[in-house]
Amino acid sequence: MRMIETVQEIQDMARGAVFLGSGGGGDPYVGELFLRQQLNLGRHAKIVDASELADDAFVICIAGVGAPTVLVEHLVSAKTLLRVLEHAEKFYGRKVDALISAEIGGANSMFPVALGAQTGLPVVDGDGMGRAFPHLEMTTFSVYGIKTSPGFVMDDSGNVVSFETSTDRLAEEVVRGVATALGAMVYGCFYPMSGAQLKATAVLGTISQTIEIGRHIREARDHCEDPFTGLMAYLNDPAKERHARILFDGKIVDVTHETRDGWHWGRVVIGNTTDESDQLTVDIQNEFLIAKRNGRTVTVVPDLISVLDTETAEPLTAEMLAYGQRVRVIGYSAAPVMRRPECLKVFGPRMFGLDEDFVPVEELTG
Amino acid sequence: MKKTKLRLGIDVGGTNTDGVLMSGSEVLGAHKSFTTDDISGGLIRTVSELLQGSGVPAGSIGSVMIGTTQFVNAFLQRRHLSEVAVVRICLPKADGVPPMVAWPDDLRAIIGSHIYLVGGGSFYTGLEYAPLDEVELDKVGRDIAKKGLNAIVITANFAPVRPDIEERAASILRRHLPNADITLSAQVGGVGLIDRENAAIINAALSQLSRKVVTSLVSAFQSVGINAPIYISQNDGTLISTGYAQRFPIFTCSAGPTNSIRGAAFLTGLQEAVVVDVGGTTTDVGFLLRGFPRETATANTIGGVRTNFRMPDVLSIALGGGTVVRQSATGVTLGPDSVGYQLKDKGMIFGGDTLTTTDIAVRAGQFSLGDRSKVAGLPDALVSSVLDLIHARIEVAIDQMKTNSRPVPVVLVGGGAILVSRPLKGASQVYQPEYAEVANAIGAAIALVSGRVDRLFDVGALGREGALAQAKGEAIAAAVAAGADPDSVQIVDVVELPMTHMKSGSVQIKVRAVGELADE
Repeated sequence: MRMIETVQEIQDMARGAVFLGSGGGGDPYVGELFLRQQLNLGRHAKIVDASELADDAFVICIAGVGAPTVLVEHLVSAKTLLRVLEHAEKFYGRKVDALISAEIGGANSMFPVALGAQTGLPVVDGDGMGRAFPHLEMTTFSVYGIKTSPGFVMDDSGNVVSFETSTDRLAEEVVRGVATALGAMVYGCFYPMSGAQLKATAVLGTISQTIEIGRHIREARDHCEDPFTGLMAYLNDPAKERHARILFDGKIVDVTHETRDGWHWGRVVIGNTTDESDQLTVDIQNEFLIAKRNGRTVTVVPDLISVLDTETAEPLTAEMLAYGQRVRVIGYSAAPVMRRPECLKVFGPRMFGLDEDFVPVEELTG
Repeated sequence: MKKTKLRLGIDVGGTNTDGVLMSGSEVLGAHKSFTTDDISGGLIRTVSELLQGSGVPAGSIGSVMIGTTQFVNAFLQRRHLSEVAVVRICLPKADGVPPMVAWPDDLRAIIGSHIYLVGGGSFYTGLEYAPLDEVELDKVGRDIAKKGLNAIVITANFAPVRPDIEERAASILRRHLPNADITLSAQVGGVGLIDRENAAIINAALSQLSRKVVTSLVSAFQSVGINAPIYISQNDGTLISTGYAQRFPIFTCSAGPTNSIRGAAFLTGLQEAVVVDVGGTTTDVGFLLRGFPRETATANTIGGVRTNFRMPDVLSIALGGGTVVRQSATGVTLGPDSVGYQLKDKGMIFGGDTLTTTDIAVRAGQFSLGDRSKVAGLPDALVSSVLDLIHARIEVAIDQMKTNSRPVPVVLVGGGAILVSRPLKGASQVYQPEYAEVANAIGAAIALVSGRVDRLFDVGALGREGALAQAKGEAIAAAVAAGADPDSVQIVDVVELPMTHMKSGSVQIKVRAVGELADE
């Protein structure tokens, strides 16, 4: 168990959430501000290990669904988050014992922690992706048989729409349609599960990872040390089944962005500053999906690709990339569970239209 | 033939007050004096010397353009700030993130915690999700009046789409606060409530100071016999009236770098170039694009507060004429510290004991200043390795500001430009025009007038072309309202940002139009 008690921890967490967002997931800035306000009010989120949960505990995922542009205008209502919890207990007919994030990468890392700070409910150190993905069904929960249904979404005016769908993929379609109708930002309750189910399916320890990633970057900066040294030592720890590689170091020489069907597509090309023929390309579909060095794949989804500022090690979202930025690209292994065949069927390279099979970053980079 | 009126361009910086006198595109004279605490002293000296030196009577000045860092400096130094009442129209939304949550404590202590959340606001579509709570607003107005506050901010969700909600709220507050300075968020920023609200609060906090400064500028010119209209430079290098600057000091906060980039464009005739402004302590590298500074795409921070208002994209590196040079076993290092204005006492060529970049440049024979014999003993190897470092740093900064790898023209301006003596990598040509040392005052003198739009448009209903046409029309109208000659207004910038993660027809469109100042 740990309490989030300082502005630094909140900022570390937000920075780490951008790193694990692998370019996507939205900016956690609004969530960071929400937690800072809770801190100003003297309220702290309590983070617990999955092992601290009783097997018959009742846990729900809290997430926001909508457009990042709307989140930065409508912000977050503390009352709405409280009402989500209140409604969940009525809807499921039992008391909620703990919260968990569906998606640790980006903005959705923050909402369960925000509600946890408000209510004192524990938030489980883990999530359903260990990164960011564009769809609700792309979770280890779903792969291992926990249904996102029955669930509901709610807006700030108290409108509630509940759903029960035959597949989690359909739930994604329904929820996004409802979100559009309600102003493009709703908060919902997904994947009701027991403590035992959570322990069997979640990607564990990911909140701690966000805080640790952010802390390594911050402390190195504070001590005027190279921020990549400590970060890489933390990320690349084979004894804990973590593998990280610096894939490339260079300058962005080209970026293209386009919006297709409401999603962000693009490509970034990074050039070696001393050898012009040496390039890394990263393809974007909301998240960074695949990195190729001179045509050869060096990291591919679900492994993570993070692009960081060379000087400060600030993790950058796909929207922030621009020509001329000096960046260092890190390939980072997804959690072992995410790399299993049954998971790759839901969020492996072929699910994003890539014509290749998944190979772990540590094998691709030797 | 119409007689060309003379323009007086002034830059009131932290160290120097620069002035130039221009007739059309001809520079008639330039002068530099030290800035004084009261601003008007340095200003009067610069203007008087300039008029005397060029033999021009005060009465022949047709217009005065001023760029100043006074407001941004006041905010950075937490001086002369007003307490602000912040009224946000948002309920039932946004109560979890009230105004000023992440502001530094010292600023919150000065500005106070007079925060009111009121019902109302709009979806991205422009439809209201809740009606404006007029009864509550009336109570809020009474409460603010009772507290005696005069600086007020009103913000509302999606105000860039529905500015009328903030305007209606203002008219209700005015019943109790007829003389207050009210800043509406839609007047100072685009989509992104927190950053726009922060900009509005900074603006309101500066409102009393801006009255005082603008009044003293106007009276300083009157005291030297100049009664011409006075304009102030804003962040994008275009002009606003003194009345407008008084209401929106936030728009002047980064006029300094903008003016030097615009001045560089004027002095060289270039439309696209990297501009390197070498000062005493820092070098600011900016990018000139279609005659204007390129602006930042991401959030900017002023004095610890994040805002989204427009700023030129400038990379500052710790390198200037006063930068300290050190030698150690591992080699030579530059700065990051500088002796700044104390160069005249501490620099070796002036008999001091601190080795600076200026000493090295003098030793290398790049120009003469002070007593060159004091640095004659410096070894050649040291001189060349320092020059290597200076050029390498500037080259890296230039490369970082470029939008592609092609070589671009580079313009050197500012008093420290003398440090550069070699061709620069990545530059197709290096320009160092006459009057480069007062490029910022020239940038003020030649400024144009602009109008802007930054809001969501319904492309589903209007069509893409229709939405763009409407956005451009609004930007042009705003430029004309700001004083531009309608015949000269052009669209200089169009950015479209579709809303992601949703299948909606809303597109955020940003348009900027600029034109020449209409004759009085």
